[in-house]
Amino acid sequence: MIQFDTVSKLYPLGNAALSDVTFNIEDNEFVFLVGTSGAGKTTILNLILGDLYPTSGSVIVDDQDISSKKYTKLEELRKHIGVVFQDFKVLQDKDVFENVALGLRIQDLSKNKIREEVKEVLSLVGLEDKKQHFPVQLSAGELQRVAIARALCGDRRIILADEPTGNLDPKTTWDIMKIFKKIEHERTIIIATHNTDIVNSMKKRVLVLKQGKLLKDMQKGGYEL
Amino acid sequence: MKELLTSIRRTPYQSFAVFSSLILTLFLSILLIFCLNFLYGLLGYVESRPQVAIYFQNQVSESDILHVKEQLLSSGKVESVKYISKNDAYNLYKQLNKDNPLLLEMVSPDILPASLEIFAKKPTYLPEIAGFLNSVVGKDEVNFQKNIVDKLLSLTLAVRIISISFFSFLMVSTIIILMTIAHFKVALKRDEIELMRLMGASPGYIRKPFLNESIFLGFVSSTVVYLVFIGIVLLINPALQSYLSGIPALFVDLYGFKLTVWPISIPYAAGLYLVIAFFGVGIAALSTFLATRKYLSIERT
Repeated sequence: MIQFDTVSKLYPLGNAALSDVTFNIEDNEFVFLVGTSGAGKTTILNLILGDLYPTSGSVIVDDQDISSKKYTKLEELRKHIGVVFQDFKVLQDKDVFENVALGLRIQDLSKNKIREEVKEVLSLVGLEDKKQHFPVQLSAGELQRVAIARALCGDRRIILADEPTGNLDPKTTWDIMKIFKKIEHERTIIIATHNTDIVNSMKKRVLVLKQGKLLKDMQKGGYEL
Repeated sequence: MKELLTSIRRTPYQSFAVFSSLILTLFLSILLIFCLNFLYGLLGYVESRPQVAIYFQNQVSESDILHVKEQLLSSGKVESVKYISKNDAYNLYKQLNKDNPLLLEMVSPDILPASLEIFAKKPTYLPEIAGFLNSVVGKDEVNFQKNIVDKLLSLTLAVRIISISFFSFLMVSTIIILMTIAHFKVALKRDEIELMRLMGASPGYIRKPFLNESIFLGFVSSTVVYLVFIGIVLLINPALQSYLSGIPALFVDLYGFKLTVWPISIPYAAGLYLVIAFFGVGIAALSTFLATRKYLSIERT
């Protein structure tokens, strides 16, 4: 479970990224974070990941209050969080297999276990035949699938996606969303997005943010600003 | 190992720069260590030689010489006195020149002087002892080695100071060079490091491949340097042996253990390898540790 209790975040220059935001996200819930640029979507994701300290309030992830913990004390927690970025962050000097296996290697799994799990997850994202391809040989949609596969590998119970379809065409966007849909009951998925179509079509919980404030919290909601 | 070799293959110029810097530093280091040990061995050898020797004229009787010996021993300033008779001197001469029959033919016990070899309790007693010996009736010559010991001592001290200064400079500059190269390597992997941190990797886990690579390069460089050094020593060994023929085995005292530094003994050769491997691995690992520290000291904001 993820709990935000009256969380505020002020950046060093004094601009408020979040103001008194409170919400709970249950395990295996699928949530969209929507809002204009600067509304606080990425700040929420970074707070869950433990990359930022909240200025006030508390952030609880998996029953741990991570509000004041040091970066190095959150390594175990991060091993259970997968992150998907708009710009994919796929490593150019590694092939698909190595990119996806990165998170598993951190968890010190055996080579056989890594091989099995990568195979399984590549099959889930439809890239099983491209495991030895390098990023330059892949399309944008395939790169994002690699990033998703990497985020899913291992015991990663929470998936945070920051504009995962921001660089993709509509058809590829839907292919990516289908992957998220496949795993929606197995993990907590939080997607920050501007994409009206997917939010409206998927009918999932929507948290609407505006200028750092939580405007609406809608079950089976649509894209509203 | 496979990952390590892949990493070296993917950054060949940086790896070569690390390798060549280490080779240069370690080669100079092994040379300095070898020279310093040789000098210390030589100093020990010279110090172990009689510090004052008196040679007597032919007409001086053995009883007179032994009387001088008694006088010296009763002074309380002398550790030991060794009497070398004409026959003893002749036997020594024969042993030293056993390969040269011509020299042996030219000498008989009569022409070699009897002598006393004196070891003082303290070096400060030496001038006084030498003064006394110079006043002995029937003395032919007094050899006083204080100057040689002092010169060798000051030479060793100077070489030691210069070596330590040079060695420190060498180490610091090598560490800085290796750190700069390691920075390049780490910077090339910045995205990967950032990603690994987000995925929960500890600083130790991220640092491990960089450290492994530097330890590997340090180990390989020190082994190469050692083999080249030993090769050179073996190559010039006949010439060195002939040049240093007057100098017998040299030792350095290593916490009570007498280590033969010349001719190079197996324990000394093994010790040299251990020291140079320790330096090679140590400076390579330290530089990488310092270089990666900057990238891994991330704090939440």
